[in-house]
Amino acid sequence: MTRNSKTETSAFARITTRREFGLAVLIALITIFVSFFDPRFLDAINLRDILVRCAPTAIVACGMMLVIVTAEIDISVGSLMALTAAAMGIMLSENEWNLSLWIGLPATLMLGTAVGLLTGLLVTVGKVPSIIVTLGLLTALRGFTTLMMGGKNIDGLPPSLQHAAKQGFWGIPLGVWVAACVLVMTLVIIAWTPLGRRIFAFGSSRYAATMCGLSEKPLKLFVFAYTGFLTALATIVDVPRLPTIESGIGLEFELLVVTCVVVGGVSINGGRGTLLGVLLAVVLMTMIRPVLTYLEIGEEAEKWTKAIQGTLIAIAVIGDSLLRRRRRGGPRS
Amino acid sequence: MNQPRAVAQFNYWHELVLFGLLIGLLGLAEYLSPGFLSLRGQLYLSRHLWVFAIMALSMTLIIIAGGIDLSVGSAMGLCAVAFGVTFEMTGQLPIAIIACLLTGVLGGLFNGALIARFKLHPLIVTLATYAAFRGMAEGISQGESYSQFGDRFSELSRATLLGIPLPGYLFFVLAVLVGLFLWRTPTGRSIYAIGHSAEAARFSGISVNRIRIGLYTFSGFLAGLATVIYVSRFDTAKADAGRGFELDVITAVVVGGTSIFGGRGTIVGTVLGLLLIHETRQFVGRYWQVDELKSIVVGVLLIVSVLIYQLLVRQRETRSH
Amino acid sequence: MTRSARFMLLLLISLISLGCRTESGTNVGDQDKLTVCLLPKIKGIPYFTSCHTGAQEAAAELGDIELIYDGPIDGDPKEQAELIEQWIVDGVDVICIAPNAPLVVANAMKEARDAGIHVVTWDADGVPESRSFFVNQATPESIGRGMVDVMIADVGPDQEGDVVIISSDATSANQNSWIDAMKPAIEESKLTLQTIKYPGENAANALADAQDLIKVYPNLKGIFGISSVSFPGAAEAVRQAGKSGEIKVTGLAVPSEMKSYVDDGTVNSVVLWNTKDLGYLTVQVAKALAEGRLTDSDTSLNAGRLGEIQIEGDNVLLGDVMVFNKDNIDSF
Repeated sequence: MTRNSKTETSAFARITTRREFGLAVLIALITIFVSFFDPRFLDAINLRDILVRCAPTAIVACGMMLVIVTAEIDISVGSLMALTAAAMGIMLSENEWNLSLWIGLPATLMLGTAVGLLTGLLVTVGKVPSIIVTLGLLTALRGFTTLMMGGKNIDGLPPSLQHAAKQGFWGIPLGVWVAACVLVMTLVIIAWTPLGRRIFAFGSSRYAATMCGLSEKPLKLFVFAYTGFLTALATIVDVPRLPTIESGIGLEFELLVVTCVVVGGVSINGGRGTLLGVLLAVVLMTMIRPVLTYLEIGEEAEKWTKAIQGTLIAIAVIGDSLLRRRRRGGPRS
Repeated sequence: MNQPRAVAQFNYWHELVLFGLLIGLLGLAEYLSPGFLSLRGQLYLSRHLWVFAIMALSMTLIIIAGGIDLSVGSAMGLCAVAFGVTFEMTGQLPIAIIACLLTGVLGGLFNGALIARFKLHPLIVTLATYAAFRGMAEGISQGESYSQFGDRFSELSRATLLGIPLPGYLFFVLAVLVGLFLWRTPTGRSIYAIGHSAEAARFSGISVNRIRIGLYTFSGFLAGLATVIYVSRFDTAKADAGRGFELDVITAVVVGGTSIFGGRGTIVGTVLGLLLIHETRQFVGRYWQVDELKSIVVGVLLIVSVLIYQLLVRQRETRSH
Repeated sequence: MTRSARFMLLLLISLISLGCRTESGTNVGDQDKLTVCLLPKIKGIPYFTSCHTGAQEAAAELGDIELIYDGPIDGDPKEQAELIEQWIVDGVDVICIAPNAPLVVANAMKEARDAGIHVVTWDADGVPESRSFFVNQATPESIGRGMVDVMIADVGPDQEGDVVIISSDATSANQNSWIDAMKPAIEESKLTLQTIKYPGENAANALADAQDLIKVYPNLKGIFGISSVSFPGAAEAVRQAGKSGEIKVTGLAVPSEMKSYVDDGTVNSVVLWNTKDLGYLTVQVAKALAEGRLTDSDTSLNAGRLGEIQIEGDNVLLGDVMVFNKDNIDSF
């Protein structure tokens, strides 16, 4: 009796060839290596710090994942983060408008969602390719934010917000709580709602989806608006941790998020990817910096940080695509 | 209801509109800010343009063929470091220049191989090399900057013939060559075919892979060339050379009418796009003296130009994308 | 010739003939006012904004100055060169530049001088041939050593311990020059430099690096935060870790930005100088130059409310680094 290799792969094979498995193994290996060098890496406080840093990236990555699944892209999230940070600062700071949290926070979320909607409209109704819209917004929003801030940083956010972001509840900062909720919410959307299924269906085969009567406009509007909303949310939970609000917030953030989503297994050709993969990728990319610090690599090597990060990104992204190609068993143009 | 055939067959509406916009802008700029259009001033300020312009030529080809190259700015950083390191080791300018060009070519080849042979998505590959090239440049150079390449070298980007800087001539020659290549040679025309549908092009016998590799390699070569001019202009070779340039180049190409989906675009359009953005930045800078406005205006210009094109011009075409 | 070919040719010809007007550039702004351009390294950060404030004070005091303040919002030195070139075409009177990368802007500055525009540098010096004077508030040596001296004083002169430096980008010329001055000073002391981190201008990275350094080096006595992003980041990390007072943090920043950290004891001393005075003095120098009152051989300059300012060679000396602490931070 011959084994049909396509339908009767062993459970072991099925698990180990999955992207998520590879990522998990990589994270485990790095963690073991570092803890061998310095066991304090596994201290609760360090793990907590790393989780907190993962939070904003994970939150926005949930939205970015959906965007890329629909075969679009959004590289404006970094500049949008700066914009929402400045807006939040102006509204909530005691040195500025000093509005109540109940007004300022929803307003910030609405701002993010509005910009996301604008992006979505330009892409669906205006038929402007998303790379163009978000590229234009990347520069325009950053310039606008700098103009808005007028050369000054913004301090004086409400202490309650700062405390929630830094210390949080039961020892876990706000960011981690919110990230967990967003992950669950996104999972629900993907796995259990018609909306989620349509998004993935659309990404897999636009032709088939349209033939089945699915329209792309509402889907794409949703994913961009969702991403805008999530960016504002990430700003709210993460920026109060920082010493001050300055116009450089969010620089190169979009690169990080897109990298995480792609490394996490979401295909730019649309239609594939799991939330778990994205989450693992976020953890992997976030842990690079602390790992290097714990390894005490010394001054000269520190200057190679960018090279290490860049090469890691390159290897992960390219290696990943190569593996995917091999598994699929054939070229696609 | 039939439109007049001449109008329906005219494929260059975008370029025409761009041209009109450019004239309009220059007129407005001169009116609001007299002296803007002085020839001396324009030529002098054009020096900033040449580095982008050269890279925009290869970017046009790549985008027409349905790809993209996000790594050109970072490639400049790597080329600059190669230049600096080689010069420091050998003290010979020609060798340093060759090293610079070679680095660009190798980088482009790397991109091309991954995209063409291994069939990886150009956005992903060049995003990865965008990060990797810059990182390697920083690591190799340890953040140091190399300089003192000699007065003759700095003169290279500054010297003028009949008032026009040498890099301008270089660009003009390249633009004509690339334009003729695109327009007149079978390979050039096949780039449009690849942009429309790579599969169909392959079935027609076009060697899609080879052309793609060639395009990305060419892009790397021009990045190296642009770096030589850049280093000459600023007398410094550092890992941060070209930071942010990829966005500016892509913006110019897209404003110039090249469709990001592929299959459409002209060198003339790219030149117009470059000029439009360049003049807009000059005008905004001169009139308002506020640097932030430049980013805002260019960002909006990018979106609006494509929006207008999509809303107005595309309706005439019966192509479905 | 095909229709499309003719069309392209027509476009090109029109474009070329467009450029053939030969008016010469006219001045921007009033003819009877002196146009002084203040060009910071980075536009939009508090340090330079405060210099701008001082410059505006001088302009208002002197009355006949049109002050233009513009600069790259991301600190890009190429944009500095572009702005200089634009001003050359505009025909301004004086350009005052804080160069982010002296070599990158040197050629543009020289061309400005060739065009009859006075060029001075402030905050950081350029290539000597490219400017008439440098309004110097402190040399990299005095800045670097100043920070180390302050750290030694804060930690305790006889204390041994680890220190770390958190910089900005690895390519950042200013930070690198300060580090070059700091290293020998730290060697001479009882402190040990463990590592230098380069988080870039990214506040989140700076905070993360500082947090991790605190965990990794148990014998950490001091953190140098030598950029406007890494100083607050380091202070915040120390505060969040509950180690205010145990780990000393110092660096360069606009004192008002660090006020809350000084108030709660996380930061003892902030190293800087009077940035408003720096801007003020620069404009005074600009006016004196333009009016011919300041020449190469002068050894002092009467600079309005600053009184007599010493000039050493071509350096106009504002003074020395100042150390701000609890006592005098409010007066700034």
